[in-house]
Amino acid sequence: MAEWVTTHLPALVILVPLTAAPLAFLLGGTLARPIALLSALLSQPLALALAFTVSAEGGVRYEIGGWGGPLGIDLVADGLAATLILVATVVGLGVTVYAWGYFADRERYRYFWPLWLFLWASLYALFLSGDLFNLYVCLELVSMAAVALVGLSLRRDALLAAMRYMLAAILGSLFYLLGVALVYAAFGSIDIATVREAVRADVTGQAAFALMTVGLMLKTALFPLHFWLPPAHSNAPSPVSAVLSALVVKGSFYILVRMWVDVADPSFVPGSAALLGVLGASAIVWGSVQAMRQERLKMLVAYSTVAQIGYLFLLFPLVAGGGAAAADAWVGGMFHAASHALAKAAMFLAAGTVLARFGHDRIAGLGGLSRRAPVTAMAFALAGVTMMGLPPSGGFVAKWQMIRAALESGAWWWAVVVVAGGLLAAVYIFRVVALFLGREGAEGEDADVDAGRSPATMEWATLALALAALALGVLGQPLVELIGVGAPALVAGVGP
Amino acid sequence: MPRVTPMSPAPVRIAAAAICGGFGVLLARALLALPEDEAGLAPLIETNLEASGVKHPITAVLLNFRGYDTMLEIAVLVLATIGVLSLTVARPGTWAPVAEQADPVLSALARFLAPIMLVVAGYLLWAGEHAPGGAFQAGSVIGAAGVLLSLSGYARPVWVTRFALRAVIAGGFVAFLGVAIGVMSAGGALLEYPAGSAKTLIVLVETLLTISIGAILVSLFIASASPAEELRRRMEENR
Repeated sequence: MAEWVTTHLPALVILVPLTAAPLAFLLGGTLARPIALLSALLSQPLALALAFTVSAEGGVRYEIGGWGGPLGIDLVADGLAATLILVATVVGLGVTVYAWGYFADRERYRYFWPLWLFLWASLYALFLSGDLFNLYVCLELVSMAAVALVGLSLRRDALLAAMRYMLAAILGSLFYLLGVALVYAAFGSIDIATVREAVRADVTGQAAFALMTVGLMLKTALFPLHFWLPPAHSNAPSPVSAVLSALVVKGSFYILVRMWVDVADPSFVPGSAALLGVLGASAIVWGSVQAMRQERLKMLVAYSTVAQIGYLFLLFPLVAGGGAAAADAWVGGMFHAASHALAKAAMFLAAGTVLARFGHDRIAGLGGLSRRAPVTAMAFALAGVTMMGLPPSGGFVAKWQMIRAALESGAWWWAVVVVAGGLLAAVYIFRVVALFLGREGAEGEDADVDAGRSPATMEWATLALALAALALGVLGQPLVELIGVGAPALVAGVGP
Repeated sequence: MPRVTPMSPAPVRIAAAAICGGFGVLLARALLALPEDEAGLAPLIETNLEASGVKHPITAVLLNFRGYDTMLEIAVLVLATIGVLSLTVARPGTWAPVAEQADPVLSALARFLAPIMLVVAGYLLWAGEHAPGGAFQAGSVIGAAGVLLSLSGYARPVWVTRFALRAVIAGGFVAFLGVAIGVMSAGGALLEYPAGSAKTLIVLVETLLTISIGAILVSLFIASASPAEELRRRMEENR
């Protein structure tokens, strides 16, 4: 049995939530929640086992149908994939536990569970896919589930945001698909390992990469293509917001990394790395400034996501030169993806508890939350520490590595961007945290309204995710090593 | 009164035209530069066709070589249906027929056509093994028959209890998943059909997929048509 599990590990990681999803749909109401929780618990040891196997063997390849690429589809796990799967597994468990309490009205939110399990399975499938067309199918699954989840409350704003999100997501997918079609026509394969060998920087190859990149930028909400994100992420039910900001945007970003660091390198299209870096830097500034100006907590957190996505794109200029700087940037970028996922999930879940307690999320009316819901206020503040990049958080390690990479490669201006982004984050986070710690009733009657109780499990799940983000800074060394396992040649230089 | 959307200002339209034009030129250049002798995977598929269990290369790719893609595509359909159901306020199983009073000519025609469409669907399903056809085409014909019946007032789904409806929608995907996992017990990988049983399993999966795809298409049509008014009212309430 143990041997069987090891052999089929990559497939099993996907199959657990993929089986649970239709069961939650079929069996419905009462059984959906236990099915989801069981699936979440089963995923934990499987994801951990995958990480260990990848570490021990330097990577795992699984041939679906026994054909092997390029005829069949392979699942491929390297350090990067295993890292993101671990992150998705931990965030997924936190969100599942939280949602158990949040969606107490079982009848109205009965479709949350199958949609969420399908989304979870699709993310696993995406991170493990070794095939460009299969990645497109995974993107479709992710988007379809995400769009449905955004509109779940049937509130007018949520439905409008979901519609806009769907149009952006479909346009992004089609750009990507067009690029994949060109890759197949030019290089005769869509198996990533085969394409890696065959790819040429001719007109067709460059056009294919440009198309795929534009589509994925739209899906990742990179400035200035971020317009759909704040309404979608802030109007979704809070557990959904958490998953969207923490994991879903990372899915399309992951494909960009595969393309520009693994399949080809940034010199494939001259100027591409600098362009992505400049857009990332603009996102950091623009998203942070917008976050400062928001009056609703969930909008603030959503704009913070726009800013934090910017850091991810600094990866491309920083790895372009290769060598030790590239290796540092690789760890920094992926560490940022991991710590942001945990911290941002905690922030949105905290905002969800605020909504449940106060009946609104107007920032000015949230004075004294630290006495009303101390665990939630603390979780928000701790997640903020990671968001600002203060020691000892995971965000600090990520930013430190990025700054090091910038200085090593002589491109100090990226280091300035990273530091400035941390300061900007401090402004919008301290504004909220200071209010939480302040007096109750800062805005008169608002603070007296206690809209409803929320189960303690919601608050503790939130805190656990915030603590995990913090712990990455102290106990993150194994993750640093995992990120480097089987890393693409460009970034496999001298380790950090 | 239909609302008229005002035209965008001229600079916006010119910019949009310029972007689309530039995109077109880029795409044309990329397509013209394509190699003419790139055979892609066709030779590889030809070589392995014998082992796939079916005689038509497209079915071999869809249900065997890249069966995993197809399985996830079916999941997309199920997911889309769940998404639409999540927007319906009327509970599934209590749908009113779309057309309350059917036109007698239409209803006579529907009664005449529906059985023929089912036979055509059956033929397409079977043909997929050696000629163009298969579950998606057959399912579409069943879906069309369902739409026709519902438009002519026949589709009052009295037979659909809520579980039965969900079972038909998800059944094809669950069966595919079951086969994919089941064959692992024979020692192979996920979706690795044991030698000799590929054809049987593929036909089984395709048959169940046909029924589900048909049900999904009809559900999407009925569920998105009837409760639109109710959804609008609900949106106003939740404003």
